Amino acid sequence: MAVITIQGLTKRFGPVTAVDDLSFEVDQGTVVGFLGPNGAGKTTTLRMLLGLVTPTAGSARIDGRPYRELADPVRQVGAVLEASSFHPGRSARNHLRVIATAAGLPLDRADAVLDQVGLTQAARRRVGGFSLGMRQRLGLATALLGDPAVLILDEPANGLDPEGVHWLRGLLRQLADQGCTVLVSSHVLAEVAQTVDQVVIIAAGRLVTQSTLAALTARTDQLVRVRTPQAETLQALLAAQGIQADPDGADQLLAAGTTTEAVGRAAAAAGIVIYEMAAERSNLEDVFLQLTTHQGVRS
Amino acid sequence: MIRLVRAELTKLATTRLVYGLATAMAAFAALIVAATAIGVEGAPPLSAYSFPAFVAAPTKLLAGAALLLGILGMAGEFRHQTVTQTFLVTPDRGRVVAAKLVAYPLAAIALALATLAVTAAVAAGWLAAKGIGPSLLDARLALPLGHVLLEAVLAAGLCALVGVGVAALVRNQVAALVGVLVWVLVVEGLLMSLLNAPSLGKWLPSAAAAALTNQPGAHLSRLGGALLLAGYALALAVAGTRLVVRRDIT
Repeated sequence: MAVITIQGLTKRFGPVTAVDDLSFEVDQGTVVGFLGPNGAGKTTTLRMLLGLVTPTAGSARIDGRPYRELADPVRQVGAVLEASSFHPGRSARNHLRVIATAAGLPLDRADAVLDQVGLTQAARRRVGGFSLGMRQRLGLATALLGDPAVLILDEPANGLDPEGVHWLRGLLRQLADQGCTVLVSSHVLAEVAQTVDQVVIIAAGRLVTQSTLAALTARTDQLVRVRTPQAETLQALLAAQGIQADPDGADQLLAAGTTTEAVGRAAAAAGIVIYEMAAERSNLEDVFLQLTTHQGVRS
Repeated sequence: MIRLVRAELTKLATTRLVYGLATAMAAFAALIVAATAIGVEGAPPLSAYSFPAFVAAPTKLLAGAALLLGILGMAGEFRHQTVTQTFLVTPDRGRVVAAKLVAYPLAAIALALATLAVTAAVAAGWLAAKGIGPSLLDARLALPLGHVLLEAVLAAGLCALVGVGVAALVRNQVAALVGVLVWVLVVEGLLMSLLNAPSLGKWLPSAAAAALTNQPGAHLSRLGGALLLAGYALALAVAGTRLVVRRDIT
């Protein structure tokens, strides 16, 4: 069942179309990566989904309703937007207590979520002295305050060190295992590739593709890298068998859509000397880059 | 609604602004008492009946502090981008502004009462040192004191309301502060001299505030001033709320 429904969503800022007729759905209990290069319209889309920005056209709904019409938004949806939206003079604990008060949540939830994100030590420190990573953690703590079933995170890994990114992955996985629905945006596929079930890729405000991560991985090519002093001879030989191989450096070939076995047999049959041979996969990031640079191409 | 007002008061209580303002007000109160006590030539000699005038001394300053509090409370949300989080928790933006319109006058009134208490204590101490002991049982003293209290409470409450309204309309903290200063110090003076008629000039906001605090030269009654100021505050708040509800938070 779709928890998040984006339908024909469009936002124009003056002459600029930030989001252009975007539609996709997020099913209950899935972790979906919302990907696109900087300026693709991810943040604007999420802000429309959260009722902060009014769409020019189309709709964005959570549990079948626009965010602004949710009965109890804090208990239904948790969101992390940019990392700077804290009063610098307020302590982390008081920041959470203010929100708990406004949302009618028990005040001890503040300490619970601080513990959950590992900020207990810094609870009484003023946020102005926090590092970017600590602010991201506090942002997550804020999102978790109402123990919501839907999480919407805008670039949550920004500013986190490698250990923080690792921690974030663990937290997202844990939340997903508890049945949480998560929509997490990023401009780097690798950041979320280990966590997400599905990806929604946008570029220039338009949907490029929505697919499972497995389907995206299937689009990567099997490559064979060969190092040989007879690169040109081997290239011609492979070409005759319908295998495309491109020179990569002085004595290397990169053959696509074949196997090491096939290349090895062909080389042996022709008496070609091989120094080195290895199977490679084109990077998931390459697929992402290829998809997002061919803007507006739907697949 | 009550929990939103409580949240606004918690916001105020968990930053240093209001404590700084309270400290500054107390210090000013003591200074003003000292200045009034030393007095000017030709002023009537000190007596028990000087007491209400002492206590009333910081009222204008309190009105300014209340205005500042209201502006910082509303515009600060935009300045620190905390408004994003605030509207995520309460997507009905009109209710957020309404909660501020309740909470900030309350805070300003508390600040006013605390300042008046400090002023009264310092003034009573000063008079006691001169051998003068004002008695609250004396109706000639109690009545003016009651007026002073009422004026301070109304001025603080209404000015905080105006502050929230202005900031909802302008959003930018610096622009709101500068705008209010320019309005009070420049625009109203210009309008006054252009209109060249007290019958029109008395309807300006600071004339209303002056009437409310019963300052010499005011052309409206105290009640008239209070109602007029409340009208300005409400108009600003309604216009500000309409804008806040419609504008994108990016």
